[in-house]
Amino acid sequence: MEDSLDFKSLWQQRNTSAPDLSLLKDRLVRYKRQSLRRLLLLNLCLAATCAFIVFIWLHYQPELLSTKLGIILVIAAMLGYMVFANGQLEMFSKLDSGMSNSAYLQQLLKVKQSQKQLHTWILSLYFLLLSGGICLYLYEYVRRMSALGASTTYLITLAWIGFNWFYFRPRTIRKQQAKLDELIQKISEIDGQLNAY
Amino acid sequence: MHFDELYQNYWQRVFRLCMGYLNDEEAAKDLAQESFLIIWQQLPKFREESAIGTWIFRIVSNTCLRQINREKRIPLSAMPEQIKEEALESIEPKIKLLYQFISELPELERIIISLELEELKQAEIANITGLSEGNVRVKIHRIKEKLAQKFKSHGR
Repeated sequence: MEDSLDFKSLWQQRNTSAPDLSLLKDRLVRYKRQSLRRLLLLNLCLAATCAFIVFIWLHYQPELLSTKLGIILVIAAMLGYMVFANGQLEMFSKLDSGMSNSAYLQQLLKVKQSQKQLHTWILSLYFLLLSGGICLYLYEYVRRMSALGASTTYLITLAWIGFNWFYFRPRTIRKQQAKLDELIQKISEIDGQLNAY
Repeated sequence: MHFDELYQNYWQRVFRLCMGYLNDEEAAKDLAQESFLIIWQQLPKFREESAIGTWIFRIVSNTCLRQINREKRIPLSAMPEQIKEEALESIEPKIKLLYQFISELPELERIIISLELEELKQAEIANITGLSEGNVRVKIHRIKEKLAQKFKSHGR
């Protein structure tokens, strides 16, 4: 009991000056502006890319369905990825901090686990759509080339796609997974502290 | 309740909780500010289902727990000796030790003991952590024993 009183009085002697409230308000405004800017930039990039592709469509007037389908696939890949990235940001801002620690940890764990599943799935889908789109798009223009030119073009494109698929995709997935696994493990560990008697 | 008033009334308590969690004054101030930003943003959603204090401490402790998401902060031990000395000079050694010992505990124990030392009722601590009152009581008892042991072996 003596210890507990002692601890309390020691504990409560530790003080620090409160930063001016206006500084805090500045920080809030800055933070809001920053996240808005990030969202805006993300969507602007997306819009610009789509506009560029639509411009190609209108300007070069592709004749074959495959070319149009290719364009649509590429746009779909990018759109899907952006929507996913934006959704992830939103998922975090929706976390309710006013819950009890145990409910909060469960919520955090769920978000991280679904993130882990989605990452692998979305990234593979993104690569597939993008690769398929590019191959389809190329067909109309490669058709007009000589046999040698056409096969060289496809060979280089496929080699590049293969390199991405077999090297960059698993590497990116592995990195993301390792980071998420570490977080999930740490959250589970703290959650375990709740259940330990 | 008005935010400015909450800020005045709770700053020191929120700071101490963050300080017990991190044992690094600058990082703790930063974390306390971050907690107040969340409190500010979520204040309109506060529905008075619990006491405002309980709600605030829930947010602060969850913000502390969220730290695992961030880049690891530079620990105080990595700071140049001189800066470290200057920052800690004015604080009584026993107080420094208490905060150091608390920050060495597992994450959840840091939160529980900080709330206890802030003189929150055990029912309220149970409400914040999501543990049963009985479990809170047992844990507090054990943590205090651990702290006393740490002081003892430090040669008080």
